[in-house]
Amino acid sequence: MLLTARISSLVIDSLCDRAQDDDIAVAGLYCDFLSQQDQTTTNIMGALLKQLVNRGGIPDHLREAFQKAKKEFGGRAPRLTDLMGMLKILIASLPRVFICIDALDECLPKYVPEILESLRDIVQESPRTRIFLTGRPHVREDVQRYFSAAVVIPISPNRGDIRNYVEMRLDRDSEPEAMSNDLRVDIVRVILEKISNV
Amino acid sequence: MRWLSPLEPNNRHQGVRTERFDGVGNWLLEMTEFREWRYNEGGADKAVLFCSGNPGVGKTYLRQMAGSLKKLNAADSPY
Repeated sequence: MLLTARISSLVIDSLCDRAQDDDIAVAGLYCDFLSQQDQTTTNIMGALLKQLVNRGGIPDHLREAFQKAKKEFGGRAPRLTDLMGMLKILIASLPRVFICIDALDECLPKYVPEILESLRDIVQESPRTRIFLTGRPHVREDVQRYFSAAVVIPISPNRGDIRNYVEMRLDRDSEPEAMSNDLRVDIVRVILEKISNV
Repeated sequence: MRWLSPLEPNNRHQGVRTERFDGVGNWLLEMTEFREWRYNEGGADKAVLFCSGNPGVGKTYLRQMAGSLKKLNAADSPY
């Protein structure tokens, strides 16, 4: 699992912890190479919509509109324009929405510009919306094409993160009898040294 | 709600957060850039925060390294 996924989950949790006090709504999604075929722009926007609807507090008239739309779609899946229409109405009706998308680069490249364009549409309609994205450095250009003022923060594992992680793995080791304090200290030291050399 | 999307992001979130260890990434939450993005009422141009990173140090890599160190140590041991 990528470090960015952990960072994204931390950001999502820290937002959700304060959601009631701060009067915000949070929708988060993790992209994954293994689910590329399912990660179309339509499905991603649908997933965000689903999460925001599930948060509750949806005005009755919107809920009715969703039920009506669902009937209209019948058996077929909703189209991107339908979903975007509903998503924009919903977001405009909520106090402030945070959207988090982890590992944008793990979507098929053909969808990335469309996803960013859809997010830009949302922000243009509801300028208070905040968007948290992660991805490998090469998607930065795509992000900045749609959001030229995007703030970019490079993520790399720092020594504290790695030390904590190694200590946690050692605590959960399946063969504690094979471990001694000296070995434990050595493992942490060597791993930290190796990583500083990367 | 499945008609809206087959993706189930909440399941993945639960999986990730159980693998997360205490303290990882807390530095990000303390950064000025993050706090400004989080709390400021800035307009559309302040909407996006992008964290860029390589897969870097994964769980598998660390586990393998810890495993091979243990083997090395066992081989050195006189017992």
